[in-house]
Amino acid sequence: MRLTVSNLSFSFGEARILKDVSFEVMDGELLGLMGPNGSGKTTLLRCMTRYLPSDARAIMVDMRPLHTLTEREVASTFAVVPQSSSTDFPFTVRDIVAMGRTPHMRSRLVGPSREDSDIVNRSMDQAGCSRLADRTFSGLSGGERQRVVIARALAQEPKVLLLDEPTVYLDISGQFEMMDLVRRLNKERELTVVAVLHDINLAARYCDRIALLSQGRLEAIGRPAEVFDPDTIMGVYGVDVAVRRDPFTGTVYIMPKASSTRVASHGRRVHLLCGGGTGGPLMKSLFDLGYSVSAGVLNVLDSDYECAKDLHIPVAAEVPFAQISAESHAENLRMADEAPLVIVSPFPVGPGNFRNLEAARHALESGKKVVIMVRDPVSEVDFVGGKASEFIKGLICSGAIEVKSLDDAIERVRSLSR
Amino acid sequence: MKARGPRLSFLMRNPGLFMILLAAVLIASAFAAIMIGSLGPIGPGDPERISFGDAFDAIIGHDDDLPEYYASVFWDVRIPRILLAGLVGAALACAGTAMQAVFRNPMADPFIVGVSSGAAVGAASAGLIGLTVAVGAFTAPVLAFAFALVTVLVVYRMGSVGGRIHVDTLLLSGVAVASFLGAVVSFLIYFAREDYHQLIPWLLGSMAVARWSYVWILILPVAIGCFVVFMYGRELNALLLGEETAHNLGANPESLKRVMLTVAALLAAGAVAFTGIIGFVGLIVPHMMRMVVGANHRVLVPAATLFGASFLIWADAISRTIIPAQELPVGIITALCGGPFFLYLLHRSKAGRVVG
Repeated sequence: MRLTVSNLSFSFGEARILKDVSFEVMDGELLGLMGPNGSGKTTLLRCMTRYLPSDARAIMVDMRPLHTLTEREVASTFAVVPQSSSTDFPFTVRDIVAMGRTPHMRSRLVGPSREDSDIVNRSMDQAGCSRLADRTFSGLSGGERQRVVIARALAQEPKVLLLDEPTVYLDISGQFEMMDLVRRLNKERELTVVAVLHDINLAARYCDRIALLSQGRLEAIGRPAEVFDPDTIMGVYGVDVAVRRDPFTGTVYIMPKASSTRVASHGRRVHLLCGGGTGGPLMKSLFDLGYSVSAGVLNVLDSDYECAKDLHIPVAAEVPFAQISAESHAENLRMADEAPLVIVSPFPVGPGNFRNLEAARHALESGKKVVIMVRDPVSEVDFVGGKASEFIKGLICSGAIEVKSLDDAIERVRSLSR
Repeated sequence: MKARGPRLSFLMRNPGLFMILLAAVLIASAFAAIMIGSLGPIGPGDPERISFGDAFDAIIGHDDDLPEYYASVFWDVRIPRILLAGLVGAALACAGTAMQAVFRNPMADPFIVGVSSGAAVGAASAGLIGLTVAVGAFTAPVLAFAFALVTVLVVYRMGSVGGRIHVDTLLLSGVAVASFLGAVVSFLIYFAREDYHQLIPWLLGSMAVARWSYVWILILPVAIGCFVVFMYGRELNALLLGEETAHNLGANPESLKRVMLTVAALLAAGAVAFTGIIGFVGLIVPHMMRMVVGANHRVLVPAATLFGASFLIWADAISRTIIPAQELPVGIITALCGGPFFLYLLHRSKAGRVVG
């Protein structure tokens, strides 16, 4: 199966929906078709199924121009699963799945053959909806209906399965069930799948490749890790995101970063002593409020470290899993010296990062304002047998300002730097 | 709903059996209807009560002792009338099924594209110009048929944009044209005061006009039309999930809509041309059958066609006999029985939907 799209353009009157789109769908792959609303994804699918007309030779199926195929050939090449399906008429599930045989049944007189019935049964089996066979289609839940429509698509015995946002009306378990099913069919039946998807993380997790459309143009195509980089997503969706690896699957996932209401930077400096994921929310809040934030000492791979990198915050860094060395401690102190205000997050204190607490004392002693977030009880973050708790109490006695929550901390920072 | 499940699915699993059952019901209905009447074993009217044996003998012309007019009542009046009722019922039910599928709307009926209002103008103008005498019994049917088709063409033109039929626009065009033509009919009736009594039975639908020539004219077109709708059953199924889905399943929705609208309009126009506007058959028969066999049109179309024939034969039998020595237009019966029955079915299926 070879499906190539070359220089495909499509217009609705004056509006140009697709502009010179070219790509190839590989045999057996699961290709995610993505892009913002109105970027032309559904139009592209409709051109493929010939529901909308396209230029001769713009779409080639196994070296044959799409427009030379008969209606039956088109319908036995592509099967479509729309966003949702509904009807007021009391079709049974079996009726709906049997509709998939329409392009294969040549005679208008003869009913379905034994082979047709076998294929219908097998398709329901594979899509996991056999037990629904005698139920009324309109009485099913959204997820069940999508399964039935997938079974219908399988009964069509297509070469390519086209999915148009198949998960859009499903809850989160339905979304994963649907995508697991699609992935399984893709692998087991070696069925080529092109799926319009909205959820970038879902797409990155399941798709072999991603084609990213923007305003009718193909912006990027490639493996999810190649296509989903912060610059491309900023360019296409206008959203500032951080790209991470899913710890369970190793696939990339994105998360939105700065809120869209970021205050223009005013240059007031704040230094953050943090670690173990306790500094991220502080960093993000201060960053959004326009502060110039620095942080230290953070081990590379600490999520606070990744957070700082995503926000382009300068960091006094240490190699992964190592004790804070003299060099990075010195750099940390230097950064703290540059800021009038130092904030200590409630990071877990162990032998390796005890020096971050010492850095706080250094700042206090050199006349800086120090805000310290304290978890209750303090012993929760103390992994050095009470030494850290004693030290934190000492800091508070020496004038560090104790706060209990993120909001309190931010409030203090704002009043102190005013 | 749950409790009815197994029984329903038995019929749904054995559509062939159900077809045989419906055909048997149709034949039985026709025979029963022949026996019902002011002359016959069943029915009103004391003086002409005869035994089943006599009726049977009169029909097959076996017994010379029976009065001559017995055979004439059966052969010249009742049998063509029952056959005509069967044909018209089948045509309307089949056309209704097709229209409901094309419009993807269970509230559609065979007259939705203006067939009945066009035919009414034709019939009324025949009455007005008084051509009945000149050209004979065919004037009103021919004018009704012609006006119905012209109306359908007009509605069809207004409902298509750029070569594509938009069913929503088509539906609204049909409603608008029908109300306009309704006013025209009222106008014609107002001016044809003397003759309008002739028109009333036609407007309400009546089988009293039945004759063999009508049966012969209708039998082949109705059979062909119903068969064509049956042959497109699979495509109609696909169309009910939307035009894009129909396309994706290999059906061409534009040509499908065109063929089905044409066939359904011809069936409906042919049916009403002779007997007048018989409402409700084309609406409720497809509904009743869907509740039994589901929406698969490979089964639904023949089921509705067969049941439509039986339904109208019974409605006509009632209309002939319910008031002694008088006949009601059959359209009144179909509406009187059909309306409440339809409401009952609607209520039951709604209750079932809530529970299920």
